[in-house]
Amino acid sequence: MKYLQFYLLGILIVASGCDVLNQDPQTAIAEEDAIRNEKSAEAALNGLYGQLQSGDYYGDNILIISDIASDISQSVGTWDFYREIDTYNTVPGNLENRNLWSEAYATVNHANNIISQVPELENVPQESKDQIIGEAYFIRALAYFDLTRTYGGVSGVAGTMGVPIVTEPSRAIGENSYPSRSSIEESYTQVENDLKEAESRLSGFSNPNWASEAAAKALRSRLYLYTKDYGLAEQYATDVIDNYNFSLVEDFQDIFYSENTSEAIFELAFNTTDPSSIRSWYFPSSRGGRGDIALHTDFVEKVKSRPQDERGDLIGFDANIGVYYPSKYQKTGADDNIQILRLAEMYLNRAEARVRKQPVDLSGALADLNEIRNRAGLQDTAGTGVDTAQEILRAIELERGIEFFEEGHRWYNLVRTGRAQDVLSNIDRENSEPVSLDNAGRLVFPIPSRDIDANENLQQNEAYR
Amino acid sequence: MDKHIFTLCSGIPTKQENRTTDSNNGWTIICFTFLIFILSASISIAQVTVTGTVTSANNGRTLPGVNVLEKGTSNGASTDKNGEYELEVTGPNAVLVFSYIGYLSKEVPVRNRQTINVKLKEDVEKLKEVVVIGYGEQTRETLTSSVSSVSSADIQNTPSAGADQLIQGQAAGVQVSSNSGMPGGGISINIRGTNSISGGSDPLYVVDGVPIETGNFGLGTGGAQTSAIADLDPSNIESIEVLKDASATAIYGARASNGVVLITTKRGSNSEPIIQFSTYYGINEAVNTPDLVSGSNFEMLMNEAARNNGEPIPYSNPDNAINTNWADKVFRTGAVRSHDLTFSGGNEFMKYSISGSNFTQDGVIRPTNFKRNNARVNLDLQATDNLSFGTSITYSNSSRNRVRNNDNITGVLGGVYFYPTNLPVYQQDNSYTKFSIFENPVAAVEEVDFDMSVNRLIGNVFGEYEFTPGLTFRTSWSYDYNQVSEERYNNTFTNEGSAVNGSALATTALSNNWTVENTLNYLFNVDSHNFSVLLGTSIQESTFERTTASGQQFPSNDFRRIEDAAVQTSSSTGTSSGIASFFGRLKYDYDGKYLLTANVRRDGSSRFGERNQWGTFPSVALGWVASEESFFNIDWMSNLKLRASYGVTGNQSGIDNFQALGLWGGESYTENPGTSPQQLANPNLKWETTNQLDLGIDIGLFDDRLSIVYDYYYKKTDNLLLAVPVPMSTGFEELVQNYGEIENEGMELSISGDIISREELKWNLNFNISGNRNKILELASPFNVYNRDIYRYQEGYPMYSFYLHKQLGVNPETGEPIFEDVDNNGTFNPNVDRKIVGNANPDFFGGITNRFNYKNVDLSVFFQYSYGGDQLNWNRFFQEHGGTRNTGFLSSQLDRWQEPGDQTMVPKMTSDNYASNLRPSRFLEDGSYMRLKKLTVGYSLPNQFLGELGISSLRFYVTGQNLLTFTNYSGLDPEVTATATSSLTKGIEFYTQPQARSVIGGFDIKF
Repeated sequence: MKYLQFYLLGILIVASGCDVLNQDPQTAIAEEDAIRNEKSAEAALNGLYGQLQSGDYYGDNILIISDIASDISQSVGTWDFYREIDTYNTVPGNLENRNLWSEAYATVNHANNIISQVPELENVPQESKDQIIGEAYFIRALAYFDLTRTYGGVSGVAGTMGVPIVTEPSRAIGENSYPSRSSIEESYTQVENDLKEAESRLSGFSNPNWASEAAAKALRSRLYLYTKDYGLAEQYATDVIDNYNFSLVEDFQDIFYSENTSEAIFELAFNTTDPSSIRSWYFPSSRGGRGDIALHTDFVEKVKSRPQDERGDLIGFDANIGVYYPSKYQKTGADDNIQILRLAEMYLNRAEARVRKQPVDLSGALADLNEIRNRAGLQDTAGTGVDTAQEILRAIELERGIEFFEEGHRWYNLVRTGRAQDVLSNIDRENSEPVSLDNAGRLVFPIPSRDIDANENLQQNEAYR
Repeated sequence: MDKHIFTLCSGIPTKQENRTTDSNNGWTIICFTFLIFILSASISIAQVTVTGTVTSANNGRTLPGVNVLEKGTSNGASTDKNGEYELEVTGPNAVLVFSYIGYLSKEVPVRNRQTINVKLKEDVEKLKEVVVIGYGEQTRETLTSSVSSVSSADIQNTPSAGADQLIQGQAAGVQVSSNSGMPGGGISINIRGTNSISGGSDPLYVVDGVPIETGNFGLGTGGAQTSAIADLDPSNIESIEVLKDASATAIYGARASNGVVLITTKRGSNSEPIIQFSTYYGINEAVNTPDLVSGSNFEMLMNEAARNNGEPIPYSNPDNAINTNWADKVFRTGAVRSHDLTFSGGNEFMKYSISGSNFTQDGVIRPTNFKRNNARVNLDLQATDNLSFGTSITYSNSSRNRVRNNDNITGVLGGVYFYPTNLPVYQQDNSYTKFSIFENPVAAVEEVDFDMSVNRLIGNVFGEYEFTPGLTFRTSWSYDYNQVSEERYNNTFTNEGSAVNGSALATTALSNNWTVENTLNYLFNVDSHNFSVLLGTSIQESTFERTTASGQQFPSNDFRRIEDAAVQTSSSTGTSSGIASFFGRLKYDYDGKYLLTANVRRDGSSRFGERNQWGTFPSVALGWVASEESFFNIDWMSNLKLRASYGVTGNQSGIDNFQALGLWGGESYTENPGTSPQQLANPNLKWETTNQLDLGIDIGLFDDRLSIVYDYYYKKTDNLLLAVPVPMSTGFEELVQNYGEIENEGMELSISGDIISREELKWNLNFNISGNRNKILELASPFNVYNRDIYRYQEGYPMYSFYLHKQLGVNPETGEPIFEDVDNNGTFNPNVDRKIVGNANPDFFGGITNRFNYKNVDLSVFFQYSYGGDQLNWNRFFQEHGGTRNTGFLSSQLDRWQEPGDQTMVPKMTSDNYASNLRPSRFLEDGSYMRLKKLTVGYSLPNQFLGELGISSLRFYVTGQNLLTFTNYSGLDPEVTATATSSLTKGIEFYTQPQARSVIGGFDIKF
């Protein structure tokens, strides 16, 4: 063969070429392999907490949305999406509104994967399975709870529809990928059922950074205020207060400046390599933040009118722009933890439940309220004109506002109690005329326009059509 | 006739451990068929032996490699290194055909002679121009496809900072825009419109046969990109060919949809050694700087807004306001310089072209600059009569000093716009004035180190073996290595650094890309039937790795490396992809009159889903050279050629490397490692398919002094790769699917002519104009992109459509803006009354180049123009805020409505009129422009002065770039795009560095 060398060369080239189509990802694994033994199931569970940490969800967004939609914080920067929410101009295309919806459902899908796959694993002890699945149920409950109260509403008070309920993991886009909305009641029932599942698998409490039986009960106490089951709300608050050795910390600011205090029931952890972005939203540029969001001056004046209230110490002043900002989140490494459930809320939940339940228990309610006031350096309510049920409810509302400012409670509480339109009227703002929440339809947020476009079974909330 | 066919099939399954997909055949068995035709011509008994020497009629040099063929047979030979040949012919009546690229063929009857010496004339006609095509070259005469060439004649004498500028305005149908004025910054090249929504519109770049990586490996600075072809030294480029129609591009298969740009660097020739030295120096300056109101006007406007809103006025005495011109603090006049030294020459054994160059360009914003050192060695070795080798090796080392800009609130220009002009640069304690989240522009310039260095090696080694005359095997081994290192340090005077006591980031990205290609080429003819057959295989693998480290908490600003940081983090990542292909081409012509070209390529890609791993891309083209017909007798028309082509090409760049797989990625919870779902699987994922029809006509008039090329094309791209929105209740936002259709239809006309062609005065004109209409034919559902949803993708509309509130005017009585009530329900509702009000695509665009030579003086004037595209001045959205923000005002705010009767588009300054949910269309402006892109005046010293000095030529010149721009656009530059990193957006200016005006002077000297 005259051209033998060329044939050999050809063989060499062909042999070297055959592998180029076989490439494998280096930073990801196939979905079928994601949950296959105890270690990978634990990794999937850790990742589920990572979903909560997202800046689109509990990393900062849901806290900001709740406070900026209320009378606590205002948008003074360039991020229009929060300004829209602040001024009750939210459009269905609002990016932060969409981010919250998207991330909450990503959390749901992630939990669905764990809930459906972990029970099938072989060679994993039942206790480990229960722990992993129980925590996943808790987080799914939290996500559905947030979705329902944000986009669905509260029966008889706000909104008319619940949210789509998806309980199977998504592996492909098919018929089941286009759910329609459930009712508000069905949505909250889903939350309750998931919390029951969590409770049945988890026991006790050891570390607030992870979901626990205590956390599930604490969330149930909150849930029942939304569903108006006040007896149960009181019962679960009491259960948490009495049975898990929680205690209010003496110095209010320790809740934020220390970590994992005796008061923390469910506290989302961050560290310097896995930081939270919340501080940057509030902190002025002189302290290294973007200073987009400030406190309403009226709110600050309300707090400062009570000079002995220690909670007012967690407010700073940005002389550059002339606005107040919260300093609950202030760590240089941006590793401030986020408080999702803490004991003070259990006292206030119980106080509220005791006023609203039948039969009423006003003195019990006042006792709970005073626990919170005393810890903040305030006297009991005695002699301040807080006596009737109505007055106590207002006092609880005020105390919740000051206790949990910038922790994402205010908007949801005002909506739930039917007080939003009264309170959120003529709110003074830094860079516009005062704003008011005039349209009752805006007590719920719009379903993101992207999903309205992508899923024809999904109906938009009325005010946004 | 012997014929051997070899089929090699290699299919060893190599199941990967960590992949448990059911796929097997698609992924693991790749069957490679390697075909080699060995065709040896039948040999008849020769009766006469003819010998001789072939020389050039122009300079008398001998010509090696000239084809000598006995007419009407396949019996042939070629001249050796001394230009000598020997051929046995069938008889005394035989006719010899001598042909050589770049020379006119010549037929000589033997007539019983035994020695025939021949002089070949150089082919000076344009039609004989050789055009580089995929895997070969061809004369323009027989070209059936649409290829625009920018040859060395066009390139020389006009210095350019980058290779991209060489094409700009020169090739019909090719839209080249500089994305920003940042030195070494990105460019976008669109060939015949945009064929892909998310797949990117960048063409495939092939440098000396090496398909190069053009990804953006640098750190983002907002939307800004750095250009991957900025690593090439434009003075090294011999020619650039832009392949446009399917017949030209289909040989590149699944990567050819966006067109192919072939860049050929200079090679040595058979000549005495030539030393060439070129140098130039010049300056760069900003044509426009941001037009912001004075400090007094800022305070006056803020007071007016407060008054209109019924609030107390914030500034008591605007007349005494500080006035800081932020732009003046950061813009500058920068220097440009370039040195270039080339040695070239060769003999029959070896030809060489070796060059080194150094280029430095300062940006108009401090402290940006770009430096490039370039070395190139191109060698051609003739080892034996049949065997030759060659190399094309380019190494470049470039460094950039960058600043953050573009769509970036911590950028320099962002600060210039956002910082109110009534703030001083420094506070009384000499610290920087801080304002909201924006970086003080002076701090962004002075206190940030941001350096990037790139080491790039593009190397190609090839060998060629000629079995028999016309039958050649070529093997080509290429390597494209790109290492990009970046360091960024923000000291404690910056916002980013102050929060964490100094912040540093370092990354190193490595891209390795190797290609092996083998081709077999056979040229033969039977009587007047000329055939050229190409068969080939290609294998390519690309790997990419990036290592990132960051540090915070530095002891002091004297420490800038991460080693000294108290908090250090790092990570690394990597990915890879591969393509395996085979291809073939048949070219046929009958007597140079009837032309046919057929191509096919079959591509397999690791990115495609397991069910669609291989794709086939065919094309066919026909041509008729009417002017060669005997009945054609129009004297003044020297050439008339009709062309038609149709073919299918693909685009795979819209698929991420592992897009087809369902994946989970890392997601940790503090120190606890974790995973989370990342993407849904799509095993059907495949390339985008473009079907293109091209109809063209080439006309040469008056002995080809005037040539006209006209093309009509229609392209329909289906199976568009789209991140189709899926209901977010699935836990995912989108799934990349082959769904959707888009069309591009257009026309291109280029006219070039030697209008005056006298000994002393020459005037050459090049004019081209192109228009493209883009339309989205099918989408899963309309979707909006970019912040505030300002672009909308919707069936029936072109890409880059702006989705805004159509502002009709401002009520002259109240000062309130009037917006179109799109749904006609009586009230304007910002949620729904939004519509597509324009798009960024120009109606037509092109360039006009005039070259004059009078005696020793040359003048070249190049205008570039674009008409009818909209440009969104997004700076105005933020800087015409009506007092709803506390940031700077553009001077357009001064046109606001003030009292009843005012006629203006800028509303009364109240918070309602500037509500945050409004996206007024008044910011969308006409982006048409005509720009004097380049003007060069040169003077060549007459030869009589040079000869004695041993200098063969010396030319001095002065060039001005971007000297004049005619436009109604109110922003800094109608040509820039702030969002170049996204293929979905275009035509938006957003804190983008404008292009610079530069004036340079230099000389070229040749020994």
